[in-house]
Amino acid sequence: MVKKALTSIHDLFNKYIMCFIKGDLSTRLSGLIMGFGMFTRGQIIKGLAYLFFQITFILFMIIRGLDYIIGLQTLGTVGQTRIFDEVRGIYVVYPGDNSMLMLLFGVATIFVVISFFLVYLSNLKTCYANQVSINNGIRPRNFRQEIDFYLNEKYHVTILTIPVIGTFMFTILPLIFMILIAFTNFDKNHQPPGNLFTWVGFNNFKDALWNDPLKSTTFFGLLIWTLVWAVLATALNYILGMILALMINKKGIKLKKFWRTIFVITIAVPQFVSLLLMSQLLADQGTLNVILRQLGFVKDFFPFLSNGDVAKFTVIIVNLWVGVPYSMLITSGILMNIPVDLYESAKIDGANARVQFMKITLPYMLFVTGPYLITQFIGNINNFNVIYLLTGGGPLTLNYYQAGKTDLLVTWLYKLTVNEQNYSLASTIGIFIFLLSAFFSLLVYNKTSSAKKEDEFQ
Amino acid sequence: MKNMRTQERIANGFIHSILGILSFVWILPIFWLVLISFRKEPGSYTSYILPKSYTFDNYIKLFTDTSLFNYPRWFLNTLIVAICTAAVSTILVLMTSYALSRLRFKMRKPMMNIALILGMFPGFMAMIAIYHILKSFGLTQTLFALVLVYSGGAAMGYYISKGFFDTIPKAIDESAMLDGANKNTIFWKITLPLSKPIVIYTILMSFMGPWMDFIFVSVIMKDNYQNYTVALGLYRMLSRENIFMYFTRFAAGAVLIAIPISILFIYMQKFYVSGITGGSTKG
Amino acid sequence: MKKIILLLSALLLVASLSACTKKKTEVTLKVWGSQEDQVMLQEMVDAFIAANTDKIYTITLGVVGEPDAKTKYLEDPEAAADVFSFPNDQISGLVDAGALYEVTLNKAAIIAANVAGSIDVSTVGGKLYAYPVTADNGYFLYYDKSVFSADDVKSLDTMLTKAATANKKVFMDVSNGWYIASFFIGAGNTFKTVDGKKVIDFNNATGLKVGEFIKSFTANSAFVTGDDAYLKGNIGTTIAAGVSGTWNASDISTVLGANYAATKLPSYMLGTTSTQMGSFAGYKLMGVNALTKFPEEAMALAEFLTNEANQIKRFETRKLGPSNIKAATSTTVVADVALAALAAQAAFAISQNSVPDSYWGPGEAFGLAMETKDYSKTIQEMLDAWVLQANGS
Repeated sequence: MVKKALTSIHDLFNKYIMCFIKGDLSTRLSGLIMGFGMFTRGQIIKGLAYLFFQITFILFMIIRGLDYIIGLQTLGTVGQTRIFDEVRGIYVVYPGDNSMLMLLFGVATIFVVISFFLVYLSNLKTCYANQVSINNGIRPRNFRQEIDFYLNEKYHVTILTIPVIGTFMFTILPLIFMILIAFTNFDKNHQPPGNLFTWVGFNNFKDALWNDPLKSTTFFGLLIWTLVWAVLATALNYILGMILALMINKKGIKLKKFWRTIFVITIAVPQFVSLLLMSQLLADQGTLNVILRQLGFVKDFFPFLSNGDVAKFTVIIVNLWVGVPYSMLITSGILMNIPVDLYESAKIDGANARVQFMKITLPYMLFVTGPYLITQFIGNINNFNVIYLLTGGGPLTLNYYQAGKTDLLVTWLYKLTVNEQNYSLASTIGIFIFLLSAFFSLLVYNKTSSAKKEDEFQ
Repeated sequence: MKNMRTQERIANGFIHSILGILSFVWILPIFWLVLISFRKEPGSYTSYILPKSYTFDNYIKLFTDTSLFNYPRWFLNTLIVAICTAAVSTILVLMTSYALSRLRFKMRKPMMNIALILGMFPGFMAMIAIYHILKSFGLTQTLFALVLVYSGGAAMGYYISKGFFDTIPKAIDESAMLDGANKNTIFWKITLPLSKPIVIYTILMSFMGPWMDFIFVSVIMKDNYQNYTVALGLYRMLSRENIFMYFTRFAAGAVLIAIPISILFIYMQKFYVSGITGGSTKG
Repeated sequence: MKKIILLLSALLLVASLSACTKKKTEVTLKVWGSQEDQVMLQEMVDAFIAANTDKIYTITLGVVGEPDAKTKYLEDPEAAADVFSFPNDQISGLVDAGALYEVTLNKAAIIAANVAGSIDVSTVGGKLYAYPVTADNGYFLYYDKSVFSADDVKSLDTMLTKAATANKKVFMDVSNGWYIASFFIGAGNTFKTVDGKKVIDFNNATGLKVGEFIKSFTANSAFVTGDDAYLKGNIGTTIAAGVSGTWNASDISTVLGANYAATKLPSYMLGTTSTQMGSFAGYKLMGVNALTKFPEEAMALAEFLTNEANQIKRFETRKLGPSNIKAATSTTVVADVALAALAAQAAFAISQNSVPDSYWGPGEAFGLAMETKDYSKTIQEMLDAWVLQANGS
């Protein structure tokens, strides 16, 4: 992987140097004035676009960009100051540097530089290609042909530009920003704009893993619970969903559509409604305990959500309520596709229903729904809604730092940002969650062939 | 033979009763929600189960008593945002998945890998950064910002529709190309019309998003109460100081958004299934 | 004749003003308040604009309740309100974050007008940072007169016995650091600031006795816990008395009707000595955002919103107890049942200034363990863990 990346970078530079070595004057000049080799060869509009881009970039860098990049090193040095103004009779507040914005804009500027560099290379490449094609007696594309070119051979550039920019702005840039936050001390004592924060290297990682006993106990405790939860939630939902699907689809069962619709309705109620409702229902003084008390099953209440171990059990059960309809829907579609003759021959061999399920149904299902299970598993590691809305991570415990017994890493992350403004620790947790998800997906992807078979259909 | 048939009948009876019990369990919370929405007495915890008296007031007041909770306004906001989001993200998703499914270019595999990796980061880790990016464009606290947030990263969800496009035979494209169509024409005139289910699925899924989210919207809107969406508004009704008076109205508001979404979902469940399983099934 | 001259001069003035290129300064301000306060705040703001015509004011309201003020402020200080109110426990966090303007204009008058306790909590490091708004952010005991007599509610133990025989419950949200502190404060445990660090001593011998009492209290069959909504929903039916604050006064008085009563917290038996329960004295304060573009105007608005007239208005519309001395001693305020109870409790209340930031989470965890009767650890172990987390290492 690394080697591949290195070779491709090497190739890139090779190409670029070739353009200078073999290029004529106007190609070489394009290295200085972008689009030059396009003007001289009849691609006026394209050349202008490149030139405009270059001028904008240079202006941006002079006015703002350079400062942004320099600011990345320190993340600000001048704090907020207050100076008493005798005439006005107040302490006038003078804003200092804002570390957060400096980091954000700094990262954005680096990306602007990278994208400029890529455009610059494409400029050289195009100019050189123009030169070559003229030497070969072919006229470079004019504007009209260029458009056609981008609607056909280069169509992927045309349709991917906006999605890529969108993903970039709303996914990649924010993520890199947050990853970098993990290496700073951005918390409630270092909160812009009142205070500055700065780089602290791997301190947050050390805190979470071993330096700070309270935080590391919390981290490992929640990590184990997150994994237990993800495994149980995924497996139970899947198996029970499949059993439900088998029941509904069984020959001789009436009102198939009716049963299915009932379960589907529960999917359609927004989760924040159904889960908040469940938390009311299951609270110590909630409706379910009222019923249990009236029936005489409990004297006071049953701690569905307020006792750590019971609450863990409860969230898994409630998650079944949330998740089983989904897996029922998905598995029932596939179940109908299992070739009937497999069962016929098994029956002749004398296999009973259980053996049929274990030997035919389950392996087939696992084969087809492998990728779905991985996504479910990762989804459950990150299952914010069920935990946050149902228990809020509670019950709190004295052993953990700002976390409760049912908190997943991801809900802990959220609480750390919202209640504690401890963004740096939260980002660190986020990176660990990512590593966890990546580890498990790689493990499974390597074992299934489903990633490779996408071209088989075509 | 007769013995086996009786056995079969007993088994079926047994399954029917299990299905009955399960349906009861599944539908009970929803039934309870509906019941609360008609309850006359306020309060979230009551020492009894069935309401003492029933009323339509909770529904009526949602639309008439807008001084604290402007439900109709929020409903409209959500509708506008949902429609715009559906339009923008559907186009983004379909373009991306078409490119990744049908076109071959150097960056195709790397892009798919990057998308896979990005999907593994917890989403709201990036919330604060997104907020400040929007703020540097002066867009925060607007419905437009919300549309951008919901649809900006939509392309990442290309996976399901790509799976669908993968199943459309390439021969169709090739014959069109022989007729002189370029890729642009093939995408709009041939592939999309053939992919109605996935187009509908994508539209509906992105349409439903804004009705469910209460986290992003609270980060973007902050104190701009007029631009809240229904989900955030309902969530606020359950805050510590409001829950006693507004719990029944919350239930009514929730029922009102659950009904259209249920209908949409029941209608599109078969697209959902074929989407998830890569179009390899008949729902 | 005089009128005509006046009219003419007024017209001239208007003409000269409009001809003049230098207009009146335009001031835009934003005020945060809870959702229930919006209508009332709008009226106050309108009054402020009417009283200050020298500048053109555009004042908008944003919905952010006091409990969320600090969090919402820190999310984006620039987008936060110019003037916002918050409970006094948030002030040190806000000052640390550089969020508040120091109050320097009319400082002496503000200090003189409000009760000493409210000024005390508005002061950090010897500097005044906020304008007191209310003095009602504390708790006391609501009770049902049909079950308890005024004598019964003097002792928690009597209440529990009597409630048990009447098949009723005594409500307290023990799984909340704010309420549970009342037992410790009463017994003499302290919140102190030592070398700039806020520390508690709940794990000493007194604390242990308190812990054991809380254990027996929560194990009592007449004890019940829950949240505000549960208290309001069940007082008068299953609940005979409950610890809560003024924000529930109107709902509870509606439910209880003629049986509505409130008083200071009871005393409890700590070992063999009867101990009066303490409490936190809570205030709501109003602050000016350090990033405001119009500091003087924002300060004037904050001062106006917290003056005597508006504190009385708060009491009249929302039953909020004034911190302004004149407003607090007005006959209507003194006659209010809930505020009278709060005033009676005030003698046993302490300020929240020295409560460590990480006191609340473990406090809730301790209370929760008691409520759910999770005795897997000894009281001493739990208190040690609480103190360790709160005081930090």
